[in-house]
Amino acid sequence: MNKKWGMAIDLDKCTGCGACQVACMQENNMPIFKDDSDLPKRVTFLDLMKVTNDKDAKKKYGEVQVAFVPKMCQQCEGNNLGAHQPIPLETVKKRVLGGEKVFFPGITYDEQDNMLYKPEVVYTKDMVEDLEKKGVKSVYFDNSQPPCVSVCPVVATDVGDDGVVSQVWSRCIGCRYCQTACPYEARAFNWWNPRYEGDFKKSLNPDVSLSSRGAVVKCTFCSHIWKRERDKLLAKGEKDLNKVKYNPACVSACPTNAIIFGDLNDPESPVYAKKLNNDERAVRLVHSIDKADPKVREKWIAKKNYPNPKVYYLSSQKWLRDILVGFKNS
Amino acid sequence: MKKIERKDFLKLAGGVVGGSVVGTVFSGAPFDGLQWLVEWTQDQYVPARGAETSIQNICQACPNGCNLSIRMIGERAVKVETSNGACPVGQTLLQELYHPERIQTPLKRVGKKGSGKFMPISWEEAVKDIAGKINKIRKDKKPQSIAAINGTHNTAVNQLLGRLVKASGSGHIYHDTCFCDLSKSAVQLTQKVEGSLEYDVENADYILSFGARLMEGWGEPNKMYNSYLKWKKNKAKFVQIDTICTRTASMADKWIPLAKAGTESILAMGIAYQLITKHGKSSNVADLSRWSGLNEFTPQKVSAATGVPVEVIEQTAKEFVSSRKPVAVAGRGGKGVSSSVAEIVAVQCLNKLVDNLGKAGGVYVKMASNPLGEPKLDAIAEAGIKNTKKARGLDEFIAKMENIELLFINEGNPVHRSVYGKKLADKMKDIPMVVSFMPLINDTAMYADYILPTLTVLEIPANEASKAVGARFKAKHTGDIVLEIAKNVEDVSKVFTWASYKDVVKLSGKTELRSAASFSFSTDILKKHFEDLKKKMSEGGSEFNLSLIPFEIPVVGDGRGMALPYVLKSIDGNTFSMGRLYVHMNPETAAKNGVCEGSNIYLISKRGEIGKVRVHLTKTVAPDVVAVPLGFGHEGYTVYADDKGVNPKEIMSDSIDPESGVADWWYTRIKIS
Amino acid sequence: MKSAIEFCKNEWNSYTRKTKIALCVLLGLVALFAIFAIQILFWGLGYTDMNNVFAMGIWIIGDLGLVALGGGAFFSGFLLYIFRKDDLEPLINSTVLIGFMCYLFTFILLVFDIGQPLRAWFGYTYPNWGLHLMPKSMLTEVVWCLTLYFCVLCVELIPIPLKHKVVDKIPFFHYLGHYLHRLMWIMAAVGTFLSFFHQGSLGGGMWGVLYGKPGWFHPHFFFLAIVLATAGGTSFMTLWPYVASKIMKKEIVPMSSFQALAKVSGFMFIFYLSYRIFVVYTLSTVYVPMADRSFIDLLGGYYGLWMLSLELIFSAIPIVLLLVPKFREQEKFMVAGLISGVLAVLFHKLFVVLNGFSIPNFAWRPFMGYNPTIQEWFVMAGALACMALIYMWFAKYMPLFPHLHKHEHHEA
Repeated sequence: MNKKWGMAIDLDKCTGCGACQVACMQENNMPIFKDDSDLPKRVTFLDLMKVTNDKDAKKKYGEVQVAFVPKMCQQCEGNNLGAHQPIPLETVKKRVLGGEKVFFPGITYDEQDNMLYKPEVVYTKDMVEDLEKKGVKSVYFDNSQPPCVSVCPVVATDVGDDGVVSQVWSRCIGCRYCQTACPYEARAFNWWNPRYEGDFKKSLNPDVSLSSRGAVVKCTFCSHIWKRERDKLLAKGEKDLNKVKYNPACVSACPTNAIIFGDLNDPESPVYAKKLNNDERAVRLVHSIDKADPKVREKWIAKKNYPNPKVYYLSSQKWLRDILVGFKNS
Repeated sequence: MKKIERKDFLKLAGGVVGGSVVGTVFSGAPFDGLQWLVEWTQDQYVPARGAETSIQNICQACPNGCNLSIRMIGERAVKVETSNGACPVGQTLLQELYHPERIQTPLKRVGKKGSGKFMPISWEEAVKDIAGKINKIRKDKKPQSIAAINGTHNTAVNQLLGRLVKASGSGHIYHDTCFCDLSKSAVQLTQKVEGSLEYDVENADYILSFGARLMEGWGEPNKMYNSYLKWKKNKAKFVQIDTICTRTASMADKWIPLAKAGTESILAMGIAYQLITKHGKSSNVADLSRWSGLNEFTPQKVSAATGVPVEVIEQTAKEFVSSRKPVAVAGRGGKGVSSSVAEIVAVQCLNKLVDNLGKAGGVYVKMASNPLGEPKLDAIAEAGIKNTKKARGLDEFIAKMENIELLFINEGNPVHRSVYGKKLADKMKDIPMVVSFMPLINDTAMYADYILPTLTVLEIPANEASKAVGARFKAKHTGDIVLEIAKNVEDVSKVFTWASYKDVVKLSGKTELRSAASFSFSTDILKKHFEDLKKKMSEGGSEFNLSLIPFEIPVVGDGRGMALPYVLKSIDGNTFSMGRLYVHMNPETAAKNGVCEGSNIYLISKRGEIGKVRVHLTKTVAPDVVAVPLGFGHEGYTVYADDKGVNPKEIMSDSIDPESGVADWWYTRIKIS
Repeated sequence: MKSAIEFCKNEWNSYTRKTKIALCVLLGLVALFAIFAIQILFWGLGYTDMNNVFAMGIWIIGDLGLVALGGGAFFSGFLLYIFRKDDLEPLINSTVLIGFMCYLFTFILLVFDIGQPLRAWFGYTYPNWGLHLMPKSMLTEVVWCLTLYFCVLCVELIPIPLKHKVVDKIPFFHYLGHYLHRLMWIMAAVGTFLSFFHQGSLGGGMWGVLYGKPGWFHPHFFFLAIVLATAGGTSFMTLWPYVASKIMKKEIVPMSSFQALAKVSGFMFIFYLSYRIFVVYTLSTVYVPMADRSFIDLLGGYYGLWMLSLELIFSAIPIVLLLVPKFREQEKFMVAGLISGVLAVLFHKLFVVLNGFSIPNFAWRPFMGYNPTIQEWFVMAGALACMALIYMWFAKYMPLFPHLHKHEHHEA
């Protein structure tokens, strides 16, 4: 697939009504407790954070402002260096025949976005010849490295070929190392046995499995809805998975259409990444590298991974952008 | 054959055992066993699968009527999708539908009143008891001792219950206070028609809101959201006047911080003064222009009283008058609106001064409608109505209530919502029969003698074309219950000819919006209001040095959402955390009163004391103001809402507005300890 | 049965009053450990003060501390068997035992710390390997290395009970013990190899790779932890038997052995301190600014600057007290040096974990605090009490101190 799902949240339009949050909880079978006011232990995928600039010593009453920021998993991809550049098969062949050990850090694809090999498979002569036989002219690879995926000791979390970071509840051993690694506090751990009291069980969504106590859970951009839409499309006889379109629960629930969702790679989509990157109103959460001097940025990106999230926040308020993007101006 | 030696046998046995152990380990069986153990010990529930369908309905939680598409798995409703951007209430409907504490059958009280002990009875029994009680009351010639309190919205079902009470012979028909009540009195005073105010904010190009938190559930949320999007598109200007920096204030193009809480009406008059004296609008509201008291509202004086700078007042007046379609909105609050009638009149003066009454982008009057028609009264009923000492509003009714024999509570939760709630609870203990219609037991139903289970929104098909989720338990539609009771009341049954609620709903047609051209009122209302306001602001002298102002948080609203666990999960940590409610205060106030972030305090007004609550310091609140979240402190509204925080209504001002009969609780003088 | 009770009674009565009190306290802690362990394992981690932001707590600090201090075992073994530093011979049994216990209880605490103890084996069956079996996750590396090194420690430990006079009389065990002893240098080599990895990964690499967290990200963290383990671990391995000798009121290890290992510790602290200063310097000048934060801001919380300063001070003291012969030869200064060496490890781990977690992730958030619950405290304290009891048992019934053994022989 050549999709890269992403989100853009227009905070100017966000009234903080909470519809996204409740819709998310309903869709993803969040556990139910009598008292869920122990906030740091709360299990939710989408946190509607109330943000004010009242810590700013220079601001007085009358000058401070309030905003709501819906925060879900930002589906980071790391710097993704070298990814998405076509590499001619000839070059690969030459290097393989020259006795070099050739492998790519991420999944390799052909020009039609068909997955060829898993990450870090060492290419042999036979494999290259096989590709040649198939008529592959060039390959490219994806190199997503979210902060949380590589740290998991049991491969309970992974990046899909649509860039969504998955999490398998039943594989997780609950070491919470991924939570430690996540700069967005987007992962939640089931500190208590998740309960679904009485008839609330009747409203549970069969598409999302329930987690057991002691496992880490997270937002997956409602990828089960993608599967649902895919199945509908397949039933209609459509075979191109790139044609599957969907909206996560929070996006469909937003009454002011403040949250929009789509393919970051698609110039037609409302969340086209290149457009958003140049949008003055757009920032990414705690990601001031976006706003750094291009020379410095290049230097640092070569040296260190940055989360590189796929959720953009748009605001016309400078204070809000500043407080979201980093720590310097707050 | 060689005899097997003991030693060889041991070796062989050892080999077999060892081999099988190794084999078992490598077969993965122990790991599978562990995996099974994992699942067994965790008791993972697997939701049942089933055929996926979707049904279409219309949300009736508010008059706006958003489209709902309900995703069904077999017989289970699992998700509510909203096509035209419904508010969060639509998302909480499933929680209400499948609430484990839904009332399953009619209940009759067995314990002491308020103890919450009930036993199940049959529908026949319940209807017989209630109808019997009405018959007895009517036989005793005391029909004025019947009363009904409806929920906030004036629906056909509420009118049906009102009809039952009226036909039986009582005028005591009230409903949970909402903006309609307040504006109804204002409309009557100024425009001399029956109806409530309907702001056409959507089409306005300058919106001046006097504390109405339009983005926080005010009125019909969806309408406000859509209006906001339209304002952005049309470059309309939205100006919010508020003491607290709410999200509405931040979303507004301009926030006018009202440093002195509770002075919205003074600011309204200040702007009116500007319009009359500076912008030559005196002819539009002649009563006001001639009023001698108007001279009290010079910019300097208003600025001193409200804390809003003179320039801001002048500028706002100028912008307001020079806009094409300006509108001024009254009704302080978000979900729980409170205001005095005089304040609404004062704001209406601004609308009249720019002459936008009955115009697009201005203010309409939504005419009171009675599609069911007036019931024909018999002799007993007519005598009863004549003898009814009708109160003007719910709070006045509660305060003066006596000799009530039968009280109907339909939806709503006045015990929690009204500042007279505690009094109502006390008085309900002495009422021989209290009947409540609701799907979930709440603070008010705790004091009922009969609780009749009703349907939630998703179980009611809105019209012929829509479909509902199958009704749960033995719950019935309120309309059907009322009809059934009415049919068992002698003589009264004649005026209830409908077979089911569906026939009743069909009757309710479109609401009529009317522009009433005339606008005049006695300035005495304003005079009295400003005298009262002055008194209120100095109530308790210097001892009560702070002002209490309520605010609402998303989805909780004024308390309805608290029973729904997914709403509890969405409350932010600066409002309710670790089981403790937080009140918001400016750091200046805190320093003056010797408290700091996280301090435990009690809030004390002339009416009483609530606590403990914790302090959260934020500059979003004006100095000398304590902002308290509404909707907390339930005492009998399912395990999810109970024992969480405190209900500020217990200490809020209980002065009843002389025009509407409803308490104006928004602003209260308090102290902290 | 009766005789067993009789034996226990006699044994108990033979103890001094002080011993009885100490045993009661330790056994009490172990009992509480058992009670709270059941609560945690059966009802989950909700009873701890850890949360979604402060995802790890006192137990992980315990793990890090135990592994780093237990790391003294590999380094002492390495010095003795590979470098032939024979001064350390009298200490080695005790060292192996402490190392063994440290690792054992690291495992036990890890089992408490993970939310799904029943799935703990997933680490072996679904490891996060990358190319050429290079672990991608630091925790995969930790799980495998710890397990393998634990096996090595087990093998190293076996000769001690085999030396017991009762067991030693059986020829098979005598020869087994003898040959195992001769193989020990291989074990020491393997142990050193494995230890280098997991000391680095659990102690430092685990935090250093978290590129989203400016408080931790540093490529040198891995190596820093190894150096710390060699420095602080040896201090610990000297301190423990020294305390034991004071309690037993016997010369169980010759002073020269203590001196020798203390000197090593002091020497290693030179490397550690300079490396640590380099790491702090590069953190503040390169790595934290790369995340657009300032290092001094990150030190603003409850566990900030003061903890780092204490850590550096405690790391500096051993250099003076353990390396300068004038001080080292005075017992009190040597002990003070050893204690501060152990505290340096402790404060390093406390600082890394507590400060790292308390740093706010968003600009509008305050620093987080962490206040372990009674369950966390007692599980931690109970684990330490278990360790003390095991060591006491070994000291009393097993030939843990060959020096003492020889000494007694001479007297006889």
